[in-house]
Amino acid sequence: MKNKLLILPSIFFAIILSIFFYLLITERNPSEIPSNLLNKNVPFFEAESLFKNEKFISSQELKNEIILVNFFATWCKPCRDEHVYIKRFSNKKGIKVIGINYKDNSKKTIEWLKNLGNPYSDVLIDKNGRIAIDWGVYGIPETFIVNSSGIIKYRHVGPITNKIYKKINLIINENE
Amino acid sequence: MTTYLGNFLLSLSLFFAISQFFVSKKNKFKFITITVNGLLISSLLSFGLLMYSHIISDFSILNVFQNSHTTKPLFYKISGVWGNHEGSMLLWILVLTIFNYFIFKLYNKYNSVFIAKTLEIQAFITTGFILFTILTSNPFQRMFPEQANGLGFNPILQDPALAIHPPLLYIGYVGFSAAFSISVATLTLNNNEKVPWYNYMKPFVLAAWTFLTIGIALGAVWAYYELGWGGWWFWDPVENASFMPWLLGTALLHSLIIVEKRKSLQAWVLLLAILAFLLSVIGTFLVRSGILTSVHTFALDPSRGIYILAFTALLGGYSLVLFGKKSKKYFNTNYFALFSREGSILINNILMTIICATVFLGTIYPLLIEAFTNNKISVGEPYFNSTAVPIMLPAILVMGVGPILAWSKEEKSKIFKKILPSVLLTGIMSVLIFSIYQSYSFIGIAGIILAFWIISNNIILLFKKNKNFSSGMLIAHLGIGFLILGITGSSIWQEEKITRLQIDTSTQINKYNIVFKEINEVKGPNYVALKGNFTVYDEKKNIITKLEPENRYYPITNSFTTEASIHTNLARDLYLVLGEGNLNKGWVVKIYYNPLVIWIWIGALIIFIGGIVSINNNLRKIKILS
Repeated sequence: MKNKLLILPSIFFAIILSIFFYLLITERNPSEIPSNLLNKNVPFFEAESLFKNEKFISSQELKNEIILVNFFATWCKPCRDEHVYIKRFSNKKGIKVIGINYKDNSKKTIEWLKNLGNPYSDVLIDKNGRIAIDWGVYGIPETFIVNSSGIIKYRHVGPITNKIYKKINLIINENE
Repeated sequence: MTTYLGNFLLSLSLFFAISQFFVSKKNKFKFITITVNGLLISSLLSFGLLMYSHIISDFSILNVFQNSHTTKPLFYKISGVWGNHEGSMLLWILVLTIFNYFIFKLYNKYNSVFIAKTLEIQAFITTGFILFTILTSNPFQRMFPEQANGLGFNPILQDPALAIHPPLLYIGYVGFSAAFSISVATLTLNNNEKVPWYNYMKPFVLAAWTFLTIGIALGAVWAYYELGWGGWWFWDPVENASFMPWLLGTALLHSLIIVEKRKSLQAWVLLLAILAFLLSVIGTFLVRSGILTSVHTFALDPSRGIYILAFTALLGGYSLVLFGKKSKKYFNTNYFALFSREGSILINNILMTIICATVFLGTIYPLLIEAFTNNKISVGEPYFNSTAVPIMLPAILVMGVGPILAWSKEEKSKIFKKILPSVLLTGIMSVLIFSIYQSYSFIGIAGIILAFWIISNNIILLFKKNKNFSSGMLIAHLGIGFLILGITGSSIWQEEKITRLQIDTSTQINKYNIVFKEINEVKGPNYVALKGNFTVYDEKKNIITKLEPENRYYPITNSFTTEASIHTNLARDLYLVLGEGNLNKGWVVKIYYNPLVIWIWIGALIIFIGGIVSINNNLRKIKILS
C-alpha cells in the first residue's frame, strides 16, 4: 500500500505538466477576452456618419455582406499601428470595412484619415462611447467580423498584427 | 566585440557546467575544484560584462538597446540588467553557480561521495539553465545597425525596492535548488552510506527561505508604493508563484528540525525539498511562458515556455520517480506525542501544505477550466481570502503554542504556568489596540490577539535567554507576529475614499481633513510630472503633513506612472493617489487610511534578521560536523 502511494507525486506532476503543455501548444492568447456577443446579432444602433449626411441605422446596413467593424481613435497609438492591416482589408473583395470613431474630435479624425489614407467605406461617430458600450468594447482598438446575416463571428481586442490579420482572413473565407 | 566576448563567456560557463557533471560523477576532487571555480568565474564575468554594457549604454547589444536609455539614472542602469528576461536569466545562473560553490565548500573526505553526487545534480540544473539562456534568451545578441539611443526602461520598474527584489527572490528560488540536489543525492545513496544530509540541507533551506521572505516583502513594498492601488498583495499568479515555494519552504524548514531531533519524517522532508524547487521552476515557467497574464508578464515567446516545461519535466520526472523507488528506506517509525514541540511542527507542516495546495489550485484553476471547457474565468482575492486565510489562523495559533512546548511530551499541568506571562501581556496589548481602533470582526479579533500572543511569547523568551530556544527562531517568530499584526490591521481597518477635488476644497477620511492646495508641473531626470499639493490636518486643525502625489509621464517609453504620496507612522499610513482631472472640473483623488502597514515591513525585516542569525548558527553546526 505504502509503496503505491509513493508514486502519487510523480503522477500528479505528470498530469499538471501535460495540461501546461497542452495550453502551451494550443493557439491561445491569454489576453483574449471572449465576447458574449459571439454568434449573436449585432446590437442595434443609430449614428451620425463622419462623411455622409444621412443617419446610419445598423439594422439596415449591417447585412447582406461580410462587414469588418473597427473601433478606433486618433489618440490611440496602436490604432495607427494596425492601420496598414485595415487598409489591406479595404482592398479585399467581398468585405465592407466600417470604422467607429470612439470618443474623438471629428476634425482631427478627418485630418488623420487624410494623412494615413481612409480604408473605411463609412466612419461613424461615437462621441460619448455609447455604441462601444453596447458592443462590449474593452479597449481601443477593437475589431469585429459580422457575417452576411448580421451575426458577430469574431472579435479581437487590441491592434491587428500579422498573425491576427491571417486569422481574420481565414474567418472571412469561412463565412463567404 | 562585447557580443563575442559575452557569448564566449556563456559557452565557457556551459563547458564548465557540463564538465562538472561528468567529473562529479567520477568524484575526481581536483577536476571538481577546477570546474566549480571555472563555472563561478565565467558566470561572474559574463554577468559583469552585461552590467558594464548597461552602465556605459553600449547600444550595439540588443538587450541594452531594448531596455536602457542614456538618460536613465545609474542606479537603474544597473538594476536594469536583471529588470528584463534575458538579463535576469544571467543573474539566475550566477546565483546558481554561487550556491554550487557553497555546496562544493562542504566537500571533505567523509562526505565526498555524497557532496560529489549533489554537485552532479547541481551541475545538471545549471547546464539546463545555461542552455536555456543561450538557446532562447541570449542577452548578448547584437543590435544591428547600432543605435544612438535605447528604447528606455519601463518606468514602473524604476523603484529602489524593485531594483533589489529580483536578486533576493532568486537567492530564494535557487537556494531550493541546493535542497533539491541534496535530496536527490540522498535518495541515490546506498544503504550502507550514512550521511547527516539534513544538517547539510538546513542552511540552504534557511537561506532560501530567508531571502525568499525578504524578496517577497520587497515585491509587496513595490506594489504598495508604485502601483497606487492602496494594497500590497493582490493574489496575482506571480505573487502566488513565489508564495507557494515559501509555504513549502516553511514546512520544510520546520520538519528538518524534527529530522534532526528524532530522525522521523525523513521521506517527507526529501519530498518537500524536491517539490519546493519544482514549484520555483514552475513559477518561472508560468511567468516566462506567457501562459498566465499578470503584472509580471515578460515578452511572450512560446519556445521559451516549451523549453522550461521540458526541463521541468526532466527534473521532476527523474526526482519524483527516484523518490517513488528509493524513499522507502527513509521511513522511520519514531513516534512522538502530538502535544509536544514535534507534534506542533507536524501540524504546522500539514497546514502549510494544505495552504500551498489551496493556493496552487486557485492559481491554475483558470488554466484547468480553459483546457477542458474553453471558458475563461479568473480566480481572485475572494477565493484566496475565504480559503487560504482561515487555514492560516490555526497555523498561527499552533505557531504561538508550539515553541513553548517541551520536546517529546509536554506535561499538561506545567503548561499553564509557562504561558501565564504571555497571556497577561497579550490581554493588555489587545485591549489597548481595540480601544484605539474600535472595530470588531471575528477575523480581526482573532488575527490581532494571535499576533500579540506570538509577539509577547517571543519577547518574553528572548529576554529569558533560555538555551533551549534558538535565538534565530525566536527573532523570526517575533517578526511573524509583527507581520500578522500589520496584515490584520491593514486589511480589516482600511478606509478608502475616492472623490473629485477642486483646488482649495477639502475632504475627510478617518479623523483627518485633507485640503487640496495646488497642482504644478515639475520636471524629473527622465520624466515630466503633475504634482499635487495636499495638506493634512487632524481634528484639532494641526498640520500633520503635506502630501505630494505625482502623475509622471515618461516620454521615452511613452508611458504614465502614478506616484502615491504616503505619510507613515507606527499607527497608520495615509496614502494619496492623484487621478485624472483638469482645472475646471477638479481632479479625482483616491485616499486610503491604512492602519499598521509599517509593521508588515518591520516584521519582514525582523524575520530576515532572524533567518540570518539561524543560518549563521547552522553553519557553525556543520563546521563541528567536519
